Amino acid sequence: MQIVVDLSICQDHGQCAIAAPEIFHMDDEGHLVYTAEPGAALREAAEDAADACPVQAITIED
Amino acid sequence: MPDAVPYFDISDPSFSITSAAVHEARERSWYARTNYGLAVLRYDEVGRLLKHPKLRQGSVAWPAHNGVTEGPFARWWASWVLNKEGEEHHRLRRLMNPAFANRHVRGLVPRFQALATELVDGFAAPDRCEFVTEFAEPYAARVIALMLGMPEEQWREIARDAATIGLAMGVTLRDDLPKIEAALANLYGYVDELIANRRREPREDFVTALVRASEDHDRLGDDELRDGLVLLIFGGFDTTRNQLGLAMASFVRHLAQWELLASRPELGGAAVEEVMRVNPTTRWVTREARETFVFQDVEIAAGTTVHLFTESAGTDPRTFGPPSFDLTAERAPHFGFGGGAHHCLGHFVARGDMREALPLLARRLRAPRIADGAAWLPDSGNTGPVRLPLTFTPGN
Repeated sequence: MQIVVDLSICQDHGQCAIAAPEIFHMDDEGHLVYTAEPGAALREAAEDAADACPVQAITIED
Repeated sequence: MPDAVPYFDISDPSFSITSAAVHEARERSWYARTNYGLAVLRYDEVGRLLKHPKLRQGSVAWPAHNGVTEGPFARWWASWVLNKEGEEHHRLRRLMNPAFANRHVRGLVPRFQALATELVDGFAAPDRCEFVTEFAEPYAARVIALMLGMPEEQWREIARDAATIGLAMGVTLRDDLPKIEAALANLYGYVDELIANRRREPREDFVTALVRASEDHDRLGDDELRDGLVLLIFGGFDTTRNQLGLAMASFVRHLAQWELLASRPELGGAAVEEVMRVNPTTRWVTREARETFVFQDVEIAAGTTVHLFTESAGTDPRTFGPPSFDLTAERAPHFGFGGGAHHCLGHFVARGDMREALPLLARRLRAPRIADGAAWLPDSGNTGPVRLPLTFTPGN
């Protein structure tokens, strides 16, 4: 499973970091940092994050 | 030069948040001082402060500011996911998020279209209407009723109670408290019935999803469920009702764009975004500094309220050029749904239902004009029409 974030539309809202803190977090400047290959066990968390993104910037690729 | 920074008394009843004075102030300074806190006027700064880690949401103290510190309304306000922070907030948000995913909205599209059509078909006259009572209110209330699976006949009661609770957002909160709390008790009544019903007979629906919402054995508690559902009814009604009325007001001033929307309904989504950019119902988003920090050479003391002006940002020429209203333009995102951790939870629903309503209205209400007798809420943090009589040429 690969997480892809379209950084050109990401607005750093941080909803992904709330939905799936195991994969996404916001750094001290409020910018997104994430794990691109978090492992299959985190699939549901990744999907929750993709759903929660207000600009729908996250896709999950197999 | 300190006196180069503009000043506004934002509590003054005559303060107009979308006035030329505010726009001129924006050209002189990215921020203004106010009678309580700072106002932020430009797009770039609003965008960054909306998500700034040193700012928390700012309205938790609103009831206390108005002398309301106890009782059902104060308790309900404190329960709002909007008014919580840190892990307490994140846990509630995680449990509520799945019911609001975009893909649930797509299935509702035919019902949104049918509802909009039914309401326009039901106008008392063929070439005029009072848009608030004949469209915006019933549309907003019945969308909520259908999402919650409440009997649609209950929409009038929802509308009345939610509108009464809306008084709590204004300066009459203290005086109106008894009727606000009575309306709140009514909404709790409907919600308790809904929850009990879905526990007995679960369905594939939104309320059942919330009743069952769980994460690693954590669930929404009974109080959290009731408080959250009442918030959704209130939060979804007032805003959508007002935003639809403001959309009509914008398109009345841009009839060529209304004609375009009628002939190209696929521009419905763009219409929602463009209206919310220049005429958002939520005209300020409130933050509060958790600690003292410096932002662009300005020291913001801990506890300072920061008002992010969404229409000023949405019409900032640095981002959007000279004033325009164009459904075909590529635009940077607006701030009408707030942003950051507290970004509006229901925005996919709101976008979905307005995206269907506007093109349909464009086709049926041609060349609309505002008739005599229009009345508006004050042009302040949250606004919209109280009464909006329109005349138009009937279309198909």
